[in-house]
Amino acid sequence: MHTLPDAFLAAIARGFPDDFASTDADDLRTYGRDWTRVFEAAPSLIVFPRTTDEVSRLLALANQHRVAVVPSGGRTGLAAGAVACRGEVVLSLSRMRHMAPVDVSGGTVRVQAGAITEVVHQHAGEHDMTWPVDFASKGSSQIGGNIATNAGGVKVIRYGLTRQWVLGLEVVLADGRVLELGGALEKNNTGIDLRQLFIGSEGILGVITEATLKLTRNPGKLDVLLFAVDDLAGVLRLFREVRRAPLVPMAYEFFTDVCLRRVLQHRTLRAPFAAPSSHYVLLEVERGDKLDDWIASLFDRELVRDGVLAQSPQEAADLWSLREGISESLSATGMPHKNDISLPVAALEAFTSRLDAVFQARYPGWEIAVFGHVGDGNLHINVMKPDDMAKAAFLAHAKEADRDMFALVAEHHGSISAEHGIGLLKKAALPYTRTADEIAIMRAMKAVLDPNGILNPGKIFD
Amino acid sequence: MKILVSAKRVSDPNAKLAIAKDGKWIEGDVEYILNPFCENAIECALQIAEANEGTETVAIGIGDDETARFIRQGALARGIDRGILVSAEEASIDSDLIARIYQGVVHREKPDIVLLGKQAIDGDSNQVGQLLAEYLGWPQATFASKVEVSGNKAIVTREVDGGLETLEVSLPCVITADLRLNEPRFASLAGIMKAKKKPFDELEIDDLDLEDTDTKVQIVGLSTPSGRKAGVIVKDVTELVQKLRSEARAI
Ligand SMILES: Cc1cc2nc3c(=O)[nH]c(=O)nc-3n(C[C@H](O)[C@H](O)[C@H](O)COP(=O)(O)OP(=O)(O)OC[C@H]3O[C@@H](n4cnc5c(N)ncnc54)[C@H](O)[C@@H]3O)c2cc1C
Repeated sequence: MHTLPDAFLAAIARGFPDDFASTDADDLRTYGRDWTRVFEAAPSLIVFPRTTDEVSRLLALANQHRVAVVPSGGRTGLAAGAVACRGEVVLSLSRMRHMAPVDVSGGTVRVQAGAITEVVHQHAGEHDMTWPVDFASKGSSQIGGNIATNAGGVKVIRYGLTRQWVLGLEVVLADGRVLELGGALEKNNTGIDLRQLFIGSEGILGVITEATLKLTRNPGKLDVLLFAVDDLAGVLRLFREVRRAPLVPMAYEFFTDVCLRRVLQHRTLRAPFAAPSSHYVLLEVERGDKLDDWIASLFDRELVRDGVLAQSPQEAADLWSLREGISESLSATGMPHKNDISLPVAALEAFTSRLDAVFQARYPGWEIAVFGHVGDGNLHINVMKPDDMAKAAFLAHAKEADRDMFALVAEHHGSISAEHGIGLLKKAALPYTRTADEIAIMRAMKAVLDPNGILNPGKIFD
Repeated sequence: MKILVSAKRVSDPNAKLAIAKDGKWIEGDVEYILNPFCENAIECALQIAEANEGTETVAIGIGDDETARFIRQGALARGIDRGILVSAEEASIDSDLIARIYQGVVHREKPDIVLLGKQAIDGDSNQVGQLLAEYLGWPQATFASKVEVSGNKAIVTREVDGGLETLEVSLPCVITADLRLNEPRFASLAGIMKAKKKPFDELEIDDLDLEDTDTKVQIVGLSTPSGRKAGVIVKDVTELVQKLRSEARAI
């Protein structure tokens, strides 16, 4: 059992509102963990600030008493970055969800870090604009969490990562100092861009309290297609066609039949094709008059086995559910061991053909669900726990097997974590992608900003 | 066997509609979809055709070029054999004229079954199937949730208040489809391409030799539902009871 210093607790009771902190058992369980279910939640206290000033005073206090603090957003993270399993104080941003009016001419909006991603979409949508960071967990994830993980998602092929859509940040450092970085400036070449340092830093350098987000116009009408192809080579062949096609692709996502079966098992959705295929591609494009001819040419050259085109917004949503429902369906119907890797697109084919051999050796006959943002070279690889295997044995086995896969990733100049981050979960694997020099520089930067190591300790590196 | 099936386009229920300046129709950048009940009718026709070799399926729509697109992509692309468009301005026809147009087409095509959606989800009139059966003097089975065709009759289960009712109707007959009848298939890309080459006839109302082309219903005006008033938070039960009595007049 971890205990917090009495003086720290007394100062909280004195200096903050009554409902600022909670030790309620439900709160401790809920706010101690994220989407991962690997570590046991064990925080000491949850705090719910409403203002930047409260965050600043809390951190100054924690710094003074050497109390570890875990910044916590929507807790949809997949790397255990927001997990508190060592008696930390969890600092939840969930009460800081104010959004200023949209600045239409600047194309920006200022929001507090706890604003829910989807709510920001709706807020901007009232002016026919959007913040184009989009993925299945947007109904729960927060802007602060998106920024702290430099989230990607299903529209990266069109819009890029979160990093491209953040103009300004307000950050509170470990000692309570408040930095305003970038403001609402599109251009600001005045030395090292400190704002970028905090984007993707997983809560180890500072707590993001507000952000000025860059917006873009809503896309026009979209067409959603689902293709059936024979194998990953077919997925990549089709992608080469999409790259050259007279179309504006919004998303190019793929999944295997293993994923589809899990989704159809978990959700009541209709199967898209009469006969199953081994690989599927979801393509979303801006509507245009060149689509028909392009589709005809795919069939002429036998690049796809089958395909469907959504005839209504409802059908488009149904096709998207087949892709966006995968993560949730895998967790709801079993226990996945998740990996989120990326490769240069050009290396994907060589990589996956070698990966098959790793799978056969390590997981003979196991169910492996592969899907991902293949247009970004990003594969989500989910090994499902066999029903008759204990959780601990499964995780130990998967950890062993990961080493073989990560070595293969490194050999092909890929990354062991494409968009989910490192957190607690992928810490041991960091050296497969980042050199000793790089990690030493990261540590040095951490030491400058958080000399006492109170911010999210043990995440990314020890 | 021959089946005639409806393909009507309707405005997307999720779209924000605006009322046109004359107050009698809608305007704006309206997104249209195929009427979901027509999708059920089309799926039903396809399943009957798949089970009964030699069945011909024909989709009919009433409207303009846009409607033609829905006949092709919504019906022919899913597997219906051919299409018929009867040109008309949608704003100027009513359920009765639509039923008479269908009657005219039935006289030309002589189908064994006419399968329609139970209603269009924008106008919500729910009249065409019933009127058509009356004009043709055919049996009708509306709100079908299950259809079985065997020999010269159809066994139709319909959803009625308080349960299910099973009817046996002799062919030719009119059947209207309810939502639980089936799960419409997606339109395959191969089907969409094939649809471009399928036979497609365009007719004028005049081609149908209708005795009566008058409309019986006139749209006098359209209005949007009044917006909901913002809620208020009451401080205690006493205030709630008082407001229920004085403002809502509910007690
Ligand atoms: C179904 C599903 C699908 C997903 N799909 C994608 C996807 O396609 N692409 C993708 O990139 N991710 C995806 N994710 C992962 C996750 O949703 C994103 O990483 C998201 O950005 C996390 O936001 P959050 O608010 O939930 O953060 P949390 O999980 O609460 O936190 C994530 C990390 O950020 C830190 N943090 C949170 N808020 C702050 C703050 N205000 N200041 C400083 N640090 C902070 C935490 O300490 C932690 O290290 C998916 C997750 C799920 C469950």
